[in-house]
Amino acid sequence: MDKIAQIVLPMLEGSEITLEIFLITFLLVLPLGLLIALGHIAKFRPLRLLVAAYIWIMRGTPLMLQLLFVYFALPMIGLKLPDIMAALLAFTLNYAAYFSEIFRAGIQSIDRGQYEAARMLGLTYGQTMRRIVIPQMVRRVLPPMSNETINLVKDTSLIYILAMNDLLRVARSIVQREFDMTPFVVAGVFYLAMTFVLTWGFGRLEAHFSKYDA
Amino acid sequence: MSEEVMVRMHQIHKNFNGVEVLKGIDLEVKRGEVLAIIGPSGSGKSTLLRCLNHLESIDRGSIEVAGKSFAGESDLGTVAYETGAQGREILSHMGMVFQQFNLFPHMTVLENLIEAPVLVKKEPRKQAVGRARELLDRVGLSDKCDAYPARLSGGQQQRVAIARALAMEPEIMLFDEPTSALDPELTGEVLKTMRQLADDHMTMIVVTHEMNFAREVASEVMFMADGNVVEQGVPQELFLHPQQQRTQDFLCNML
Repeated sequence: MDKIAQIVLPMLEGSEITLEIFLITFLLVLPLGLLIALGHIAKFRPLRLLVAAYIWIMRGTPLMLQLLFVYFALPMIGLKLPDIMAALLAFTLNYAAYFSEIFRAGIQSIDRGQYEAARMLGLTYGQTMRRIVIPQMVRRVLPPMSNETINLVKDTSLIYILAMNDLLRVARSIVQREFDMTPFVVAGVFYLAMTFVLTWGFGRLEAHFSKYDA
Repeated sequence: MSEEVMVRMHQIHKNFNGVEVLKGIDLEVKRGEVLAIIGPSGSGKSTLLRCLNHLESIDRGSIEVAGKSFAGESDLGTVAYETGAQGREILSHMGMVFQQFNLFPHMTVLENLIEAPVLVKKEPRKQAVGRARELLDRVGLSDKCDAYPARLSGGQQQRVAIARALAMEPEIMLFDEPTSALDPELTGEVLKTMRQLADDHMTMIVVTHEMNFAREVASEVMFMADGNVVEQGVPQELFLHPQQQRTQDFLCNML
């Protein structure tokens, strides 16, 4: 019993930082991803090109490299962020690019007739987006969003290289100290529990939005 | 019937990728008139309607709506529509009913009707709901207030779409093949609703394949083919004594 507590308690503490990074990143990525998606389909060409370049860089380089860059390279030009901020910055910038592409696909899947109907009723572009397009987009992007969100939970484990005591790093240090593999299994169960909750939550959302189907 | 001109389109030209689909169309609709535009597919009749409400842009010509210039040629010969607030003001004179209904699927029938009045006209919600219920009653769907569009038949959806357009209190109603996407047995209920509108002296422009509707309800019928107006006149004349061979051929095939 004692032994289990010795393993599980520090790992629960490690889960805290994992969850913190996940939750804050997730909440930041939703509005930021949407803004980037809207920029990507804007009429103003320079903005489109800028956004395309941003997405290319963020998707085209490893998240690990981006983490290292924010954590080690930025301080060299005088931008030293607290550990957690550095991690949040890298995760948010990276995942916003992926989420924006999901949102863009969702927005562009909305039938042109919806825009035309809205326009004939006098809605502005902003009102059409806010009231007509984005609400319909949300339900269509739930399945791919669920995917990316689960990826984010697991990707938080990358912060072990920044010497932050997240779930996986705690597990590894116990394994090394005790020469006991149990913490790895426990870590796996922890991640599974988190992704189970997410899968369930997204399932509920999909069910909620299906109410306007035939 | 008043002589006030509600819509005037003058020498409308329109190209799609170098193909001229409208070759200099003139059109005039007075208050209370019902203009039916008929003609074979690809004759340009839907495009003409979509140019009138700026879902497409004309290449040459001019458009006036309710006495105000909506589109016109500049000195350089390019056509500019009124845009922004001014453009929206002119558009607000016109309500549009689409072939594919285009209801907002994530909103109930009632929400579809009150969305624009509340959002655009800043009408108090309660008042908008009251009027929406009246309109739904008028199109015979008062029991469907809380249904989502996907639960309705095509004919019901189109009647909701008509009510939604009417909720913005337009002076002119445009119909782009309103029954073409419907099963034959559902067209009657939509045409009946449109007939009621005409009886209430709504100004209407109806692009349609429903010859009976055009003959019985329209005050004027325009026959288009290949981007031209072939013939135009009151329904009795046009249907009983078509002057052009092209019109006779078309009507023979339709009736």
